Amino acid sequence: MTERHLAKDATAEVAHNPLMKLLPHLRALFTIRYGMVWVLIALVVTASIIQDSFLEWGNIRNILQQNAPVGIVAVGMTYVMIGGGFDLSVGSIYGGAAMFYASQAGDLPVAVAILATVLLGCTAGGINGVVVTRLKVNPFIATFGTSSIFMGAAFLYANSKTFPFREESFRTLGSDRIFDVPWSVVVLIAVFAIGAIILGKTVYGRSLYAIGGNNEAARLSGLRVDVLRASTFVLVGACAALAGILIASRIGVGQPDMTRGTLALDAIAIVVIGGTSLFGGEGSVWRTAVGLLILAVLSNLFDSYAVQASTQQIIKGAIVVGAVSLDSFARSRR
Amino acid sequence: MPDAVEIPGRVSPESGRTAIICHNVTKDFGSVRALDGINLEVRAGTVHALVGENGAGKSTLLGVLAGRISPTSGTVHLFGLELPYGVPRVIRSMGVAAIYQELMIAPTLSAQSNVYLGQPIAKRGVLMEKAMRHGFDRLCARFGEQIPADVPAGTLSVAQQQLLEIMRGLVASARLILFDEPTASLPPRDREALFRVMADLRADGVTIMFVSHNLDEVLGIADVVTVFRDGRLAATAPAKEWTKSSLVAKMLGRELAAKESAEATGGQEAQYEPSRNESRVLVRVEGLTVLPAIQDINFEIRRGEIVGLGGLVGSGRTTVLRALAGLQPNAKGRLWIEGKEVPWPHTVRQARGFGIALLPEDRKGEGLVLTMCGADNVVMSDFRTVARAGFISHARTMARASAASADFGIAANRLSEMSANLSGGNQQKLLFARWKHCPPKVLLADEPTRGIDVGAKVEILESLQRLAAEGKAIAFVSSELEEVAAICDRVIVLAEGRQVGEILGKRGETTVQDILRGAFGVEAAVD
Repeated sequence: MTERHLAKDATAEVAHNPLMKLLPHLRALFTIRYGMVWVLIALVVTASIIQDSFLEWGNIRNILQQNAPVGIVAVGMTYVMIGGGFDLSVGSIYGGAAMFYASQAGDLPVAVAILATVLLGCTAGGINGVVVTRLKVNPFIATFGTSSIFMGAAFLYANSKTFPFREESFRTLGSDRIFDVPWSVVVLIAVFAIGAIILGKTVYGRSLYAIGGNNEAARLSGLRVDVLRASTFVLVGACAALAGILIASRIGVGQPDMTRGTLALDAIAIVVIGGTSLFGGEGSVWRTAVGLLILAVLSNLFDSYAVQASTQQIIKGAIVVGAVSLDSFARSRR
Repeated sequence: MPDAVEIPGRVSPESGRTAIICHNVTKDFGSVRALDGINLEVRAGTVHALVGENGAGKSTLLGVLAGRISPTSGTVHLFGLELPYGVPRVIRSMGVAAIYQELMIAPTLSAQSNVYLGQPIAKRGVLMEKAMRHGFDRLCARFGEQIPADVPAGTLSVAQQQLLEIMRGLVASARLILFDEPTASLPPRDREALFRVMADLRADGVTIMFVSHNLDEVLGIADVVTVFRDGRLAATAPAKEWTKSSLVAKMLGRELAAKESAEATGGQEAQYEPSRNESRVLVRVEGLTVLPAIQDINFEIRRGEIVGLGGLVGSGRTTVLRALAGLQPNAKGRLWIEGKEVPWPHTVRQARGFGIALLPEDRKGEGLVLTMCGADNVVMSDFRTVARAGFISHARTMARASAASADFGIAANRLSEMSANLSGGNQQKLLFARWKHCPPKVLLADEPTRGIDVGAKVEILESLQRLAAEGKAIAFVSSELEEVAAICDRVIVLAEGRQVGEILGKRGETTVQDILRGAFGVEAAVD
């Protein structure tokens, strides 16, 4: 509806004045479409008022570093969800990757270990993709099952050991900084930037919107719907593995059950809060960035006021429900 | 037949009283005004037809009367009571039943349970199956139909499912039944049956309001016809004061277009002649079998030729197209493309590789990605042409999409809109533009004119003819036999999955009769 507005206004009032040209765009900023951006702005303003140190670089750096792993997974999850899928197994891939990476410390050169771990994540994602597209299992159930399989396999591999790091170079990604910016934040920003460009600007990205929006129509247009959908699971697998590497190198140890199972749900919450549709075909990476920042700022506030973990959970849950209901409301008015 | 079922509130004939009064009803969807100050009075016990182009507002008004859409301003009175909004239960208790094009049938429940859906006969929460069976049988008897009570409703024909919905309305003591395009998906024989049911209901004092694009039907069955144009009520008058061309003129608001459309929908001979000098066979099908739907189908289509697949709904027409498009993995048969034998395609990509593309019957379900804009929907047949090194150029997308859609009459500035916001006609044109963007050799068009207004129908038929003139082979399926007769060079007639004949097209009424004779077998030839 907004877009229609823009088109009409733009043709009706020939812009003599550059301000007149901007006006419809400004108006669009105040629609529900950008509701979550306003929520984020309000949160940041509130936080900076009630907490003096909020806008200090040390705090911002801290927020970003803490949320780098889940943020990276959320980018991959955005791809899966826009393609009409869903992935509950990322937590297991993440834990398994963290453990695998840690177990290789000292045995492999660090670059090779990173590559091998990411490939492992791709393989796990590939298995999900095959189960969903070839065996035709609903993504929810498929990844629920593979999550358990991956977790079990990781435990089997670990053989009830944990892997503390013997080799310091393996900790660079998690702990070192470049120009006072942690490497993990550099990776986070790079993943978001590349993720946004590929989804928004490439044939691959546009094809995902098509299969998520209407699978049959995409198939009849000659798109390789199964390959495309499976590829989103491979991508999120790679993201989860990368996130696992970051967490393992930050805390200096790898074990399969690092997330206690909440990572998948956290990542999905971030994507949904941003406004990406649960039904596929709609959304974007910048929305996921907004969702990530909303939750990150909120956690930071809670932590600095020592809000109980259980209270935090309740509020976060309420935000997810609120964001989705806002989204359905916007949808029903269209 | 009447009085077979006692239905409270419908015993005394209500004709003469007023059933509906709309006062200044206006409805805005965002910035779009769908209804603009509608004032309308409908007498009880009449059949009232609403006609108009797609997007003219008739379906919106139907939604308002059904309580599904709440108007921005204005009031509606039904049988003297003001209509509340957003409470379907209350509106149903006022005696309103709405039957939409997409039937509200629970496919896995039995036919009987569907009739009593929402108002089961029960005693203290326990279902009274016997009483319901009794009522169901009496309703069936009343309409002279034998519907098995225990089979899952999803296995019944569309006509029978529709009847179940009518019966459901009667069980709920409906005094006003609203139909949206009731005959669009019915084969001719079932249409007749539906008209008998409507006439029967009217005789019992039920008020009927229906939306239809088929003007012959409208003039045949309605007492009063109201024409909508651009959200306004253009005219309302008794059916006998209208003619087909005066209706079309009122709908379009212009005389010239009326002539054109009367020509095309009236089954006149089309002036178009395909060039015969290039009559090479482009596609040949031998022994196509898809069990259990079709068996041993043989035909060929030459370059520049439009071949119709005639027959009734359920005769296997759609299956033939879907098999060619690679959508029937169990299809068997031999296929030649440009004289070269190729394996039968079992995936869409294989079929696309042979240059075969399908315009699906279900525009929204299988055609468009409603969440994407029109331009993206056009270029999605081949994204690579608007991309460089994998990156999509917005400018090139818009340029290619508007170039492809120019022929089909879509305004370029509408391409940036979400395709969900476009009318049915424009949506269909987008699908044509999609295959203009990435042209196939063989185009399979399945019901491309269904649910589309008169003006757009003509444009779409012309588009098909133009594509044929460009040297494509076109297979065309339509339930509007006049259309088939008007544009097809030949018609393959199917009945119950078998090929029963091949007849010459473009002979107007003769072709229509030949198709029907073939489709109905000897039976219909007698009457």
